[in-house]
Amino acid sequence: MDQNIPQTALTPELSFSSKFGKRGRQKRAVKTFFQAILYLSPALILFITFVFIPLIRSFEISAYITDPIGRLAKFVGLMNYERLFQTTTFMNSFSRTLLFVLYTVPTTILISLGLALLGDLRLKGISVFRMIFSISIAISGATASLMFLYIYHPTIGVNYLLNLVGIHNMTWLVSQKTALLSVALTTVWLQIGLNTVILLAARQTIPEELFESAMIDGANSWNKFLHITLPMLSSTFFFLMVVDTLAAFQTFTPIHVMTKGGPLESTNLLVYSIYREFYFNGKYGFAASQAIMLFFIMLLLTILQFVFVERKVHYE
Amino acid sequence: MKKSLYYIVSLLVLIAMVLSACAPAAEAPLEEPVAEEPAAEEPAIEEPVAEPTPTLAPPTTEEVVKIDFWHSMGGDLGGIAIPQMANDFNASQTQCYVEPIFQGSYDDALNKLKAGLQSKDTPAVMQLYDIGTRLMVDLKVIVPVQDFIDRENYDVSDLEPNVLAYYTVEGKQASMPFNSSTPMLYYNKDMFAAAGLDPENPPRTFEEVWEAARVLTQKDAAGNVSVSGISMSIYGWFFEQLLAVSGGYYVNNANGRDALATEATFNSPEGVAVLEWWKGMYDEGIMGNYGRANADVRTAFYAEQTAMFIDSTAVLRGAMDTVAGKFEIGTAYLPRPNEEAFDTSGTIIGGGSLWMISDRPQEELDCAWEFIKFQSSPDQQAYWHTMSGYFPIRQTAYDVPLAKDWRAQYPQFETAVNQLHLAPNNRVTQGGLIGVFPTARQTIEAAIEEVLAGVATPQEALDKAAQIVTDAIVEYNISMGLD
Repeated sequence: MDQNIPQTALTPELSFSSKFGKRGRQKRAVKTFFQAILYLSPALILFITFVFIPLIRSFEISAYITDPIGRLAKFVGLMNYERLFQTTTFMNSFSRTLLFVLYTVPTTILISLGLALLGDLRLKGISVFRMIFSISIAISGATASLMFLYIYHPTIGVNYLLNLVGIHNMTWLVSQKTALLSVALTTVWLQIGLNTVILLAARQTIPEELFESAMIDGANSWNKFLHITLPMLSSTFFFLMVVDTLAAFQTFTPIHVMTKGGPLESTNLLVYSIYREFYFNGKYGFAASQAIMLFFIMLLLTILQFVFVERKVHYE
Repeated sequence: MKKSLYYIVSLLVLIAMVLSACAPAAEAPLEEPVAEEPAAEEPAIEEPVAEPTPTLAPPTTEEVVKIDFWHSMGGDLGGIAIPQMANDFNASQTQCYVEPIFQGSYDDALNKLKAGLQSKDTPAVMQLYDIGTRLMVDLKVIVPVQDFIDRENYDVSDLEPNVLAYYTVEGKQASMPFNSSTPMLYYNKDMFAAAGLDPENPPRTFEEVWEAARVLTQKDAAGNVSVSGISMSIYGWFFEQLLAVSGGYYVNNANGRDALATEATFNSPEGVAVLEWWKGMYDEGIMGNYGRANADVRTAFYAEQTAMFIDSTAVLRGAMDTVAGKFEIGTAYLPRPNEEAFDTSGTIIGGGSLWMISDRPQEELDCAWEFIKFQSSPDQQAYWHTMSGYFPIRQTAYDVPLAKDWRAQYPQFETAVNQLHLAPNNRVTQGGLIGVFPTARQTIEAAIEEVLAGVATPQEALDKAAQIVTDAIVEYNISMGLD
């Protein structure tokens, strides 16, 4: 169970082949291989078309400057990458993105855990509450962002209510000090639905016997939560952490709808920055180099999460 | 096995998600297309004036040439006015059939054109913003309307010379102006009277605006501002216009109109003075800051939280319909640094124009030209003008009864027309001509944010912005093979 090398999953099980001679084994292996390819081909074709070819293309574009419609104009080698570290744009986007991940991921998981435990109570009409807790699943990022745009509106939004109770001039999206937090709040709200559903489902798969036997041993609810619920949910936490982190790193919609990266670049997260360089500024090469960097950063983060966090995860 | 499964799934998800951000131009990274707020020059019209006639059925016979018209007009302009005009055109034609297609904001439409050029999925006529002019010419994907003007000696003497001049590149009329507007000062006449100011004598210069804003600002006992004297959204277009009325060039070589621009020059004393004025009022607490959203400033004005604001002439009608007599709206010229500036310079005639895309077949381009002529006709321009609050691009449109009635109803629009005719036609009022204007505008907006936040002085912020824009111009010129 300690092997983290992905190949283990891909190596075909060949133990049956000992029945055959060497040639038979080879033949058999070739046949198995082609069978596997055949079964995998729908996914493979999609991945090659939409993932691997664009990936290679991105590497290529990142070594050029392009004209405003993306035709390669001049080979510049690693200049685009050098620029990433010479200008403040990329480093700013990177640090703002890290901050954004920090704001959203733990908050989302903690709130969702609370809601999932509430939703697990055996009460009359609990399914109504479960639906309310998970309602944001059904709302698209763009819709949620527009809703929050009105909530944060300086004149007609929640500020109107705050004014009535004597709190003035909340800046929300207008000030660089609060804009990222305001966007993070939207994202947390949006993610809670999915996280709650997954945690609730995971909670309900924990066998009742565990709680019963703990009760017989005299455990109180806190002990049961600490020593049964949390460990049994650990693999789900891990899954959510990976998925939420990846999603937070790729946040685009709320930024595009709510702040366009401003004020003062304080919400110019990596993917938005790539979008702006690519579609808006027409600097395709520079944008591609940022995308490649993002790719490696996320690869690294995912590997780190698997290496360090997964050790503490309890699998059934 | 569960572990490795997670591993693979996460990796694939990761790869797929990252790459959706760097795939080639055709796919947008956004999953659900967001209808962006229409460009700022666009008015917010609340009520439809007339229902459009039912859409004519597309032609079935082969002789009729069908052309696509891409536009970026949201709201009722795109929903009612444009389809109405297209229908009228189709009804008047036996040879051509035009289909208007809304393509989102100007930026979105430009991106779709860039993608469409590779897949030959292009319109015959396309509406695009003023600041895309240089780019469209340099991309060599358009047929200048000059070719058609020359071919049939089309009379342009009735068209507004200032408006035509904006879209003239290297002596040729590149595109046909369609929707044109300038910014002006809107103010609440009731508040002026209450504050002891003369509602019929609005401020004209930077200094007068500052003084009026000081008098108009209301603060409660704790010092919280309840009414700002003036508000302005952080919008690069306003800076361009204020720079122009101050007589400053945006880029070198006379705004890139005598020769190809190679350097940004908006960090001149004129540009710095604009931001010092802005910053001074902000620091004094008499200028409201609502970020980059023009609509939020308008809402504040409607809610009487700001006494003056600066916005496009094209939002007048929306403002009057929304306020609906709750208070009286006044309009004034965009403020100038001093009185003399009224004689020497003026506003830039921005907005949008109609382009013909060259990779369409000749018969489609002929129809496109017919459609452009139709859109420029006095009747259509009068209809368009009254629906929107954009200027008519030709003088005779003002004499159409529809336009006369409209101006009787909205006398405040007189200011806009006068401001247009007041502006001398020179290199300053023709505006900057560069291929990276969207980048420049966004860079300026960041600079204004820095100044307001106190991170940089106006001179520092503009110097830095000018450097960024100059680099972008140079890279653009290299990539287009222009240098």
